[in-house]
Amino acid sequence: MSDAVTCKNLGKTFPGGVEAVSSVSLDVAHGEIYGFLGPNGAGKTTLISMLTTLLRPTRGSAEVEGIDVVRYPERVRRRIGLVFQRSTSDDALTGRENLEVLAGLHGLSPREARPRIREVLERLDLGEAADRRVSTYSGGMRRRLEIGAGIVHEPSLLFLDEPTLGLDPQGRAGFWEYVRDLRSRRGMTIFLTTHYLDEADQLSDRVSIIDHGRVLRTGSPVALKESLGRDVVLVRPSDPARDLRSLLAGLPGVSSVDPRAGDGEYRVKVARSESFVPAVVRACDAAGVELAGVATRKPSLDEVFLTVTGREYREESEANAPVPAGTTGTRGR
Amino acid sequence: MYREFLTVLRREALKWVRVPIWVASYFVVPILYLLLFGQAFDLGRLFPPGADGSVYVRAALLGAPNYFSYFAVGMVAFVTLTASLYSGTGILFDKQLGIHARMTATPAPRSALFAGSLTFRAFSAAWPAFLALGFALAFTGVPGLVGLSVRSSVSAVGAAEVVAAEALLALMFTALFLSFGYVLTSNEAYFGITSLLNLPILFTSNALFPQGTMPSWLQTVTAYNPASMAANVMRENLFPTSGYPYPPVVYLLGLLAWAALLVSLGLYLSARSLRVP
Ligand SMILES: Nc1ncnc2c1ncn2[C@@H]1O[C@H](COP(=O)(O)OP(=O)(O)OP(=O)(O)O)[C@@H](O)[C@H]1O
Ligand SMILES: [Mg+2]
Repeated sequence: MSDAVTCKNLGKTFPGGVEAVSSVSLDVAHGEIYGFLGPNGAGKTTLISMLTTLLRPTRGSAEVEGIDVVRYPERVRRRIGLVFQRSTSDDALTGRENLEVLAGLHGLSPREARPRIREVLERLDLGEAADRRVSTYSGGMRRRLEIGAGIVHEPSLLFLDEPTLGLDPQGRAGFWEYVRDLRSRRGMTIFLTTHYLDEADQLSDRVSIIDHGRVLRTGSPVALKESLGRDVVLVRPSDPARDLRSLLAGLPGVSSVDPRAGDGEYRVKVARSESFVPAVVRACDAAGVELAGVATRKPSLDEVFLTVTGREYREESEANAPVPAGTTGTRGR
Repeated sequence: MYREFLTVLRREALKWVRVPIWVASYFVVPILYLLLFGQAFDLGRLFPPGADGSVYVRAALLGAPNYFSYFAVGMVAFVTLTASLYSGTGILFDKQLGIHARMTATPAPRSALFAGSLTFRAFSAAWPAFLALGFALAFTGVPGLVGLSVRSSVSAVGAAEVVAAEALLALMFTALFLSFGYVLTSNEAYFGITSLLNLPILFTSNALFPQGTMPSWLQTVTAYNPASMAANVMRENLFPTSGYPYPPVVYLLGLLAWAALLVSLGLYLSARSLRVP
């Protein structure tokens, strides 16, 4: 049987010459959760729009459940669900009515739709608000309703374009659990895009990193992190002018030393940070170098992202960084 | 197909009943026109009874018993036009709010989306017209008001022709304005176009003024205006008329042609706007 999604050299250049997606080839297996990670403007929405028949590719080809997305868009639409990045709900209707309309447009009878809608609303914690107009919903409630709109017809393949945008930490954790549940109980294949490294890390079986319309690296989160093979230690001398390169490079287990522009900090890749930290403290003491700080980092997708794109992820998308778990987030749109 | 169609129909209806002032305006507008414009503006009263002028007016009305009766039937076309004028705004707002994109992502046939909106909006443009006729008839029983007097023997076929003419008129106007909703992206452009079309459609018809009093070039335009055709069908059936060049069925065929043209245009333009870019 064919894969859930396959695309070959898929690309889109908008009229006017913006090359949003240059050439993407990938395949998503049935039942897989596939994460698509990239900063603003990387081409995530454009790619998802081509796969969900909303945008015509200018290059290459794509199949969803073995069906060509350009030739048979209607058959593809029957099998997939889509959660848009932007809001698509009708404010004048209630949450339940919104889902009823979508179920109807997917050809479900009211009798088939009713129990599914009830279940989806309950599961998304919208049971009590179900019969209120969407205009009275908070940003997080709207977002959850959007997720409901993508799955009410029980698609076999679900596309999520930044599904947790604007959700608070509980909302995000609840959503992750729901996505895992959809996969394990319904066997749904899930393709999601995200800015959030931790989301891709937590949820995906495989991750592709995309930037400027190009897939730079693909693999499981673990494999991507292991491909770096190293922990990272950040060493900061009190005197930023002090050159520590040769001192650090001489310590055991060090594979690279990377002075960071401007702030005098050194990024040192080491085999094991646990034994490196006491060693660097002793060595600096001996050399009379005063340290302002030493921090260790287990490799994260951040590091992978940096290595792959040559720039720090968070510099790009600080505003969108997730609120650390345990703190109270603001409920934004 | 029918399920998707019914779904769109239900959505339109839900949205409509949620806005009481919108619903209310459908009742109030026809009454206001009949009361204010219709009562004040009686061409026949410009002359004393029996004077040459009043005879002339009677003749120009082609058999309508008085100007109010002539006007009340023309109001049907006017009310239908007014009620259909904003049919396209729903589509326009759906596009701006992402609702249109969401509907496009479903497998629902594009024609079902268009047909659902067309049916509901045409229906809601048609019934206020009948309401207007009903009110005008009821005025006959109100002291101090002129009412619509129709001939005592309106045949069943005649009544059916009146209903068919109104239905076709509502259908074509709604299809036209829905098309603008699909084609345009800016609210200003939409309102600009509707206010541009509104008065010319009305004033190049015989809905408010007898055709015979117009300059000849305008008479030609008026003859092809669907609002005139609908009014002709109704007046020929409701009044003991004389002087119409064709029987109602000819005007009905003309209305059918107009409706076919504008509905096809709407189908084409909606499909084009729903097509994958
Ligand atoms: N309709 C369009 N016409 C022209 N350029 C477009 C169009 N849509 C998107 N682009 C451009 O294509 C590029 C990719 O956009 P896209 O929306 O796919 O990014 P994204 O990865 O989803 O970003 P974000 O995280 O901000 O949602 C951007 O440079 C954008 O300006
Ligand atoms: Mg996007």
